[in-house]
Amino acid sequence: MMKDKNFLYGSIGFIFSFLVYWFLGHPYFITERFLMFVAIVGFGGILIFYTRMAQRGEDIFLRTIPGLKAVEEAVGRSTEMGKPVLFVPGIQDMDQVETVAGVIVLGHVSKMTARYETPLNVPVSRAIVMKAAREACKESYLVEGRPDMFHEDMVHYVTDEQFAYAAGVNGIMVREKPAACIYMGKFYAESLILAETGNSIGAIQIAGTASQAQIPFFVTACDYTLIGEEFFAASAYLSGKPELVGGVKGQDMIKLTIIVILIVSLFLRLAFDLNLVNINILDILST
Amino acid sequence: MLWKRQIPILIVTVIGFLTLFGWFTDQPQIKSFVDDDATQWFDILASFAIFLGGFNLLKLQTQKILRKQEGWEYSIFAVAGIFFALVAGFIIKGNPDVAWGTHVSAKGTVFKWMFTYMVAPMQATMFALLAFYVASASYRAFRIRNFEATLLLVSGIIIMLGRVPLGSAISSWFCLYLFVLFSGILINSFFKNKQYTAIFVIGGIVLVTVSGMFMGWPVDKPGVFYLPYLQEWIYKYPNVAGARSIMIGIGLGIFSTSIRYVLGIEKSYIGE
Repeated sequence: MMKDKNFLYGSIGFIFSFLVYWFLGHPYFITERFLMFVAIVGFGGILIFYTRMAQRGEDIFLRTIPGLKAVEEAVGRSTEMGKPVLFVPGIQDMDQVETVAGVIVLGHVSKMTARYETPLNVPVSRAIVMKAAREACKESYLVEGRPDMFHEDMVHYVTDEQFAYAAGVNGIMVREKPAACIYMGKFYAESLILAETGNSIGAIQIAGTASQAQIPFFVTACDYTLIGEEFFAASAYLSGKPELVGGVKGQDMIKLTIIVILIVSLFLRLAFDLNLVNINILDILST
Repeated sequence: MLWKRQIPILIVTVIGFLTLFGWFTDQPQIKSFVDDDATQWFDILASFAIFLGGFNLLKLQTQKILRKQEGWEYSIFAVAGIFFALVAGFIIKGNPDVAWGTHVSAKGTVFKWMFTYMVAPMQATMFALLAFYVASASYRAFRIRNFEATLLLVSGIIIMLGRVPLGSAISSWFCLYLFVLFSGILINSFFKNKQYTAIFVIGGIVLVTVSGMFMGWPVDKPGVFYLPYLQEWIYKYPNVAGARSIMIGIGLGIFSTSIRYVLGIEKSYIGE
């Protein structure tokens, strides 16, 4: 049952407008990308639908993600030990969605460090990330009512160079011996160098990345790892805001849709190979 | 409030939609904005931002030296390095025949010397450390603690051996004998009965030996026990299946995060 009338009318309005545009000759539209357009609009629609559903107050279950549950535990451990929390937001710039997601998680982590009065150290490798991360931390300390604890140099620039950055962060780890190391962002070969050094100083380590090649390294060297989509769900999980949790539910529904499409496509292709149907699904999907 | 909340969200929404739907249009102005202008804007911003980063680094390292904080000696190298790079980049070329600008990559200049003999070796040193870290990380990962770790160990050994010449020299019959022996261990730990184990192991060895004698002991048959074929199968199928499922999750995560930004649902970046 469609309870969300506004969403229904909005969708009908969008489809109707697009059909009018299409039958008017769809000027400037790249026809070969039609299927991708439909997929993006459709998946976007699913996300909006579940976000609105969560905003209306409907109950949405979010499974426990151990890595995110451990973030508060890690900050608490640092507080007890009187040592800082080290947050590494990856080595890429703000044009990478992983870096953006990392900075968002930093916002939540800095709220915890503000609450527990724990020192936070955020070495960054890009100047724009430094500005964004500073703003995120500043806002968090303000929200927690501890602006006095915030100082700009808790987020500091090291270098743009990959291995020089790794050396710099390793130096900080070895000298300051943080009790918790959190790696959230885009990483390359330096991931293992950082994580193994963190392991050697006995810090509790939590990593989150969408860099597929680095996930095994983090899994091996860190206590908790957020794999792929878990990393992007971190903001929703840590904030608990219904509109963000709804987005995660929408994401799961899209995944379910993709699984169904994969299975149907598999059988359609099998039927095509057996000459039972004349539609080659691969031709349709590759347009 | 308007400047710190609504306007940033509006900018993200407008530029986000323009960039997203710009991919579906061949309208020249939009295409040019999405493909060139937007990325150039970012580059210009990043170029200016590097000054912020540089000054921040210089400030912190100088403070550390002046206050003689722990490890201040290292900061001397950092500050000296910054000044040396600035001098080599803007004041002393070291080779009068080379024009300014090209001196960063031309031979015989101070900047190139610094890069070749200082930056590159130091980066290579850090990269080389990775080999040792891989070894220590592998040791931890391959320790037999549970079923998953054992599976990882076995797959790792098969992949490593199957990809080197030694692996192709190992006969599939040798692997088959090993398989019988390891299966015997499993049967023993499951039934805890020496007779069952003995029957299974002796029966298995006899069966493998008889089959080998009939088939003439070919090195690569049966293929399922030949390491190069087995590693290829592991690499192509279970590995790709797992990697693709993670990729789909990552793609969806990126998509939903982007949509949340564009629609103004996610506002954490402005502190909400």
